[in-house]
Amino acid sequence: MKYVVLAGAALATLAAALLVGPANLPLADLPGSAIVWQLRLPRAVLAFLVGGALGVAGTSLQALVRNPLADPFLLGLSGGAGLGAVAAIALHLPGPWALPLAAFVGAVGAMALVYRLGLMGGAELDPRILLLGGVAVGAFAAAITTALVSLAQATELRNAFLWLWGGFSGASWTTVLVMLAYAPLPLGVLVASARPLDLLALGEEPAQYLGADVRRLKRVVYLAASLLTAAAVAVAGVIGFVGLVVPHLCRLVWGRLHRTLLPTAFLTGGILLAAADTLARTVVAPRELPVGIVTALLGVPVFAFLLRRWTVS
Amino acid sequence: MRRWTVRTHLAGLVALAAVACARGEHAPAAGPAVTDDAGRRVALAVPARRIVSLLPSFTEILFAIGAGHRLVGRTAWCDYPPAALAVPSVGDGIPPNVEAVAARRPDLVVLYRSGQNATAAEQLERLGIRTVLLDLNRLEELAPAARRLGVLTGRTAAGDSLARAMDSLVSQSPQSPTPSPESLVFLVWDNPPIVIGAGSYLDRLAGLAGARNVFHDIAAPSAQVSIETIAARNPDFIAVLSDTAAPPRYAGRPEWRVVPAVRKRRFLFLPGGLFGRPGPRAREAVRELRRRLETTP
Repeated sequence: MKYVVLAGAALATLAAALLVGPANLPLADLPGSAIVWQLRLPRAVLAFLVGGALGVAGTSLQALVRNPLADPFLLGLSGGAGLGAVAAIALHLPGPWALPLAAFVGAVGAMALVYRLGLMGGAELDPRILLLGGVAVGAFAAAITTALVSLAQATELRNAFLWLWGGFSGASWTTVLVMLAYAPLPLGVLVASARPLDLLALGEEPAQYLGADVRRLKRVVYLAASLLTAAAVAVAGVIGFVGLVVPHLCRLVWGRLHRTLLPTAFLTGGILLAAADTLARTVVAPRELPVGIVTALLGVPVFAFLLRRWTVS
Repeated sequence: MRRWTVRTHLAGLVALAAVACARGEHAPAAGPAVTDDAGRRVALAVPARRIVSLLPSFTEILFAIGAGHRLVGRTAWCDYPPAALAVPSVGDGIPPNVEAVAARRPDLVVLYRSGQNATAAEQLERLGIRTVLLDLNRLEELAPAARRLGVLTGRTAAGDSLARAMDSLVSQSPQSPTPSPESLVFLVWDNPPIVIGAGSYLDRLAGLAGARNVFHDIAAPSAQVSIETIAARNPDFIAVLSDTAAPPRYAGRPEWRVVPAVRKRRFLFLPGGLFGRPGPRAREAVRELRRRLETTP
C-alpha cells in the first residue's frame, strides 16, 4: 500500500515538474519542445535520483554510526568535493565534465582518507572515529578550499562556492545516464545489507552473536553509501538536509526495519528533491532559488509536525 | 591625563563649532568637504595628498582627473592605467586589510560602499584616517563619484569635467542602427547560471551599444536563473567576460545547447579589463561592444 502511495506521489511530482517552468510553454507545445525533453525531464529525473540516493545513503550511514545526526556529507565528502571543484577551476582543467569529475575525485579522496583513519590502530570503523575523522578531514579540505579561493586572483573561483551550494542546472541526459549506470550497484549493496543493518541497531556485539559479519558489513556500507553520495555531489553539488531528515521521516512513518526503510527513503528523498527543484525553478521566476533552501523550507515543517506527533504519542 | 586634556580640548572645539554653526557662520578657510553615499560628511583640512583607492574604478577615476600621482595605495585588482601598477598594492579592497592600508599613512581612503567596508572605514577613522564611502554599481553613479573625488583632491574642475562627460554618456538616448535591437544575455557563471540584471552598469552599457539585455526586468545587479529561462528568452548573443576567445567550458554540454545562441556559438568575449568594472572608459566600452555586436557572426 505505502509503495502505491509513494509511486503515485513520485509520478505526480515528475508530471508537475514537466508541466510547469519559467518558460510558460502552452500545453499544446509541450510534447515537441526541446525545453521539456532536454531541460525539464532530465532535470526532474536527476533531482529524483539524487534525492533518492541521498535518502538511502543517509539512512545507511545513520544506522552505521548509530547517530541520528549523521548525514551523507558529515564524513568529509562535501569538503573533498569542494576542494576538487575549486582545483578544477583554478587549474583550468579543460572539457565540459572537468568540474563534476574533479568533485567526484575529491569526494572519493576524502572518503578514502576517513576510511583509512577509521581503520587505524585496529579501530575497525569505530563510529566515533569515523565521525571525528570525517569532520576533521572535511574541515581541512574546506580550509584549503577557502584559502585557494580567497588568495586566488580569479574571480570565477568565488563562483565555485555557488556550485557547491548545490542545484540541478547541470542536469542533462548524460548526467542522468551516469547516475542510472552508477547508482544501482551501491543501492543494491545497501538494500542487500538491510537485515544485518537491523541487527547492528542492537549494538556491534549482539549483531555479531546474531550472525552478522559486523566487520565486513561496516566496510561495505560505509563504502557504498559514500560512493553513492560522491556521485550525487558530482552531478548536483552539496544538497543538505535531504540525507539527514528523510531517513528520520521514513522511520517515524514506516518504522525502523531497513527492508522497508531503504526503499521508502529512496522514494521519499526523490519526491522531496524533485518537488523542491520544481518550486526552486518556478516560485521566483525569472529568478531561481538554490534548491537546498527549498528542501529545508519544505522539509522542516513536515519534520517538526511528525516529531511532535511522535513525541506526544 | 594627557589624553583627557586632548579630549576636553576636542570637546571644546566641537562646542565652539556648534556655536558657530548655530550662529549661521561658516568655519573660516574650510578645506574640501563632500557628503558620501553612506550619508557621512567628509571634510578635509586640505586637499588629499596621500590617497589609498580601494576599487579599480576609483583608481581609474583618480588617474583620469589628474590625481593619480597622489595615490599611495591601490588594490591588487587595480591594473589600469598602466601607471597604477607602480603604486604599492594593499591587497583586497572589499574588505581591505585595514593594517596594510594604515601602513601607507594615507590622508584619504576611498572605499566602495558595502557592509564590510563600512566597518573597515570606521576602523580607519578611529586611527585618525579620513575615509569616503562611494557607490559604484551603475553607470549613473560614475559622475557623482568623479565630482566628489575631484573636490576631495582639489581637482574640482577636472572632476566636474569628467562628471559631465559621464553624464552626457548616460543621458544619451540608446541608439540602435536597426529598428529591432540585438538582444544579449550577460552570463557571469554557468552552474548555477548567474546573469546580469538592470542594477548593473553592464545593462546600461548594452543599451547604449544598441543591444537589449534580455534580463533587464531583473532589478538586481545579478541573479540566478535557469537555463530554461535563458532558452525561452532566446537572446541573439551570449556575452561573457573573458580575455580569450575560447568557447566556455559549458558550450559543449547538452543542456546548454538548448539555448540557440550557445548552439550557434554566438559568444561575445568581452575583455575583463574594460568590461569588468564601470569607469571613465565607459564610452570606449560602449564602442567596443557595438563593434563586437557588428562583427560577431
